[in-house]
Amino acid sequence: MRGKLGFGLGLRPVHYTSILEAPPAVDWFEVITENYLVGGGRPLDFLDKIRARYPVVMHGVSMSIGSTAPLDEDYLRRVRDLAARCEPEWISDHLCWTGVGGQNLHDLMPLPYTEEAIEHVAARVQQVQERLGRTLVLENVSSYVSYTSSAMSEWEFLTELARRTACRLLLDVNNVYVSSRNHGFDARSFLDGVPVESVQQFHLAGHQDHGTHCIDTHDAPVRSEVWDLYAHAVRRFGCVSTLLERDDAIPPLAELVTELGHARAIARAAHAEAA
Amino acid sequence: MRLAELEAAVHAHVLAGGELPAALVEAVAPPAEERWQIYTDGYRLRLAESLGLQYPALLTRLGTAPFAALAEAFIVATPSVHRSIRDYGRELGAFIRAHSSAIDAALLVELADFEWLLAGAFDAADATPTTAADLASLAPTEWAGLAFRAVPSLRRLTTFTPAVAAWRAVQAGSPVDEGSPVPAAAEPVAVAAERTEWLIWRRGLATEFRPTTAEEAAALDRLTGGATFGALCEELFESHGERAALRAAAWLKGWLLEGLLLRV
Repeated sequence: MRGKLGFGLGLRPVHYTSILEAPPAVDWFEVITENYLVGGGRPLDFLDKIRARYPVVMHGVSMSIGSTAPLDEDYLRRVRDLAARCEPEWISDHLCWTGVGGQNLHDLMPLPYTEEAIEHVAARVQQVQERLGRTLVLENVSSYVSYTSSAMSEWEFLTELARRTACRLLLDVNNVYVSSRNHGFDARSFLDGVPVESVQQFHLAGHQDHGTHCIDTHDAPVRSEVWDLYAHAVRRFGCVSTLLERDDAIPPLAELVTELGHARAIARAAHAEAA
Repeated sequence: MRLAELEAAVHAHVLAGGELPAALVEAVAPPAEERWQIYTDGYRLRLAESLGLQYPALLTRLGTAPFAALAEAFIVATPSVHRSIRDYGRELGAFIRAHSSAIDAALLVELADFEWLLAGAFDAADATPTTAADLASLAPTEWAGLAFRAVPSLRRLTTFTPAVAAWRAVQAGSPVDEGSPVPAAAEPVAVAAERTEWLIWRRGLATEFRPTTAEEAAALDRLTGGATFGALCEELFESHGERAALRAAAWLKGWLLEGLLLRV
């Protein structure tokens, strides 16, 4: 697993042609794993062509690592096959569950932060790492509810999971902010509570602020509060590979490249400040 | 509460709404019920959006509100069992057949099926089809034993309504009225409200489709279903007599040109 990829964008089909016609100043692309778990055709053809020019990371949304349903071996085989094809720098998914009983809610459902959940997830992370033959990277999700059964903070849960499994962490700075607002914790305490050596990647994205709570929508530029938190993250973790996501109201590629430039500038300043 | 119980309770709540186990969730502002709605609404919105992307012509044909109502009913009846949301919605045509009282329900069913098959061909497994050149060096005695299977993207559809014409009309940006004259751009066979066989496949990266006769479709089905070229010629003897081999060879030439077959 390479250490630092620089500044990347989430690969979205609407940008395929722009990327190939005029390769943008983007260091790497993150691809949604499930979009390429297909037999062939245009999606994989574009992925091959873009992969020939840029490093990629595979980012899944349905591994359901926290589910009490059995691991989906067929899904893992397909992920492994895709990885063999596009040779990603690493493979990530979310620290959540997406359904039980063979059904999929297509959402990133939060886990209770309990010892039982850590034990359960840790065992599954080990199994997945064996199946994929590589270290798994897991992302903290935005959440809107918390369970009465939780016995520790989210960052304590993440930290303990990383300690037990040696998995790496994808810190979604926007998710940290959104969850901090929704659950009333200090976002910087979250970041300060995560071990520096476990963090592989950052995510940045936009959200909607409803006053009493925030929703992780990925439909707008990164908000200033999140940029501030990102600067804090860079001061603590260094220039970790950073990825800007947009999934709705997707603007022209150039606009996202400009926003990514903002991330570069903030990271450069924060890094210099910390040095 | 054990993790498995918690997940089962939350899963059921997202699917069906209803009472949340009181002990499950921390009291927060705004109330937990409102927070839960982000998940329950999100589930429906995400699946509905995905159905709209899978069935763009059906959406246009029906209109936004009727399509949303159809999607809502389908989502309630059909939980997703797929890892990729793109795989959700295959049964929409059958759902319309079973539940719709629309006057043009039969056309909507076939339009939905047609769009699903197009989407399936779009990203089906790649293959390098057998060409006529690949067979050029065969000895005459080898032809009878030739066997093929379909390229992975090949799909077949039988229509009894002008569903494909409706699809073309949506593509052209002008919703078609079944009672209206045939759109100039459409092929006559595409609007005939009679049984029509369709071939849908991908050549390179381009998804293609064309109508065909019941006879050609049956021959292609036989050949891709395991019959050798020799067996196909024998079967055609009954209807074509001495010209059976010529007929079969002409079809085969066309199928090879279109990239429909893989030699086995």
